[in-house]
Amino acid sequence: MTASRRLDALLAEGVGFVAGVPCSYLKTFFAGCAGLPESAFLPAVREDHAVAACAGAWLGGTRAAAVMQNSGLGYCLEVLASLHLIYGMPLPMVVSDRGDPNDFEEHRVLGQRARSLLDLFDIPWAEARPGAEAADAGWLVAAAEKARRPAVLLIGKGADS
Amino acid sequence: MTRAEAVARVLPLLADEDIVVAADGAISREAYRAMDRPRTFYMVGSMGQVASIALGLAMTRMERVVALDGDGNLLMGLGGLALVGGMRPPNLYHLVLDNGCYATTGGQPALSREVDLAAVAAGAGYAWARRCFSAEHAGEALDAWLAAPGPAFLDLAVDASADDPAPRVPMTPEEMADRLRAALAT
Repeated sequence: MTASRRLDALLAEGVGFVAGVPCSYLKTFFAGCAGLPESAFLPAVREDHAVAACAGAWLGGTRAAAVMQNSGLGYCLEVLASLHLIYGMPLPMVVSDRGDPNDFEEHRVLGQRARSLLDLFDIPWAEARPGAEAADAGWLVAAAEKARRPAVLLIGKGADS
Repeated sequence: MTRAEAVARVLPLLADEDIVVAADGAISREAYRAMDRPRTFYMVGSMGQVASIALGLAMTRMERVVALDGDGNLLMGLGGLALVGGMRPPNLYHLVLDNGCYATTGGQPALSREVDLAAVAAGAGYAWARRCFSAEHAGEALDAWLAAPGPAFLDLAVDASADDPAPRVPMTPEEMADRLRAALAT
């Protein structure tokens, strides 16, 4: 058990490697990551490197998940497009859902377009439901594995647990 | 020594179980032409991510992971160098085939003649990092790199002159991923 129920739910789905960049909406998830063995968590310096490291872990036979703020989707996009989406790499992604009209300006432009961006690249996404950690993790891993592509669980304020 | 000659020189030095991540562009194509092996991952895109892909493998596998990188490629994703240096996986061996330019796209100059990549790697935390800009010492440098404690980094200068172009790897990206996954599952 880690400090995060969402992380525990992903581990229960067979995830053995996590890479990501912190977000203030994901403090609990990252507190959980801090409790993982050193070989199972990569505190990445930018989101593109996080998803690329997940690709490496998956090639080696380990189910890998990425975690980031939705602004990181921009940094990731080229890697998702020219690595995961063409090699058929499943990638469960835990992504904060920032950018509502009350959020700071710097989160709004990409945040309010994140769903459209994911739709444009045929990346399945769902909103996390508070208290439904196991079901959300089950959907996320199955969606990524079945389609052999990235899938995104959006974590809104209050859904980080 | 051209880049293709350097690639052809390195691959036979590796053990069969070593895992290779070959950079997108000419390096992957030359690695395939020189010595295809089931444990090589051939990148076709995602420039700048050679070290990060290798790191994901090195953190989750016991075997040695060899990253065959380019100078322009590494400069695009220099954060990957910080990740390897910071995580210090002892089984990661990083080689930069440094021609000082973007050869795949027509030879436009890269900043690698101004930036000492080995010094950056050493500063990032690699256990061993060297630069070899002399062709006559390339063989010794490669041997020393592979014998060094990991993570080890070698910035090896190669001629910028055009090699005989190698054809694209005749597998789909999905076939390449599945082949490596299958080789590592046995």
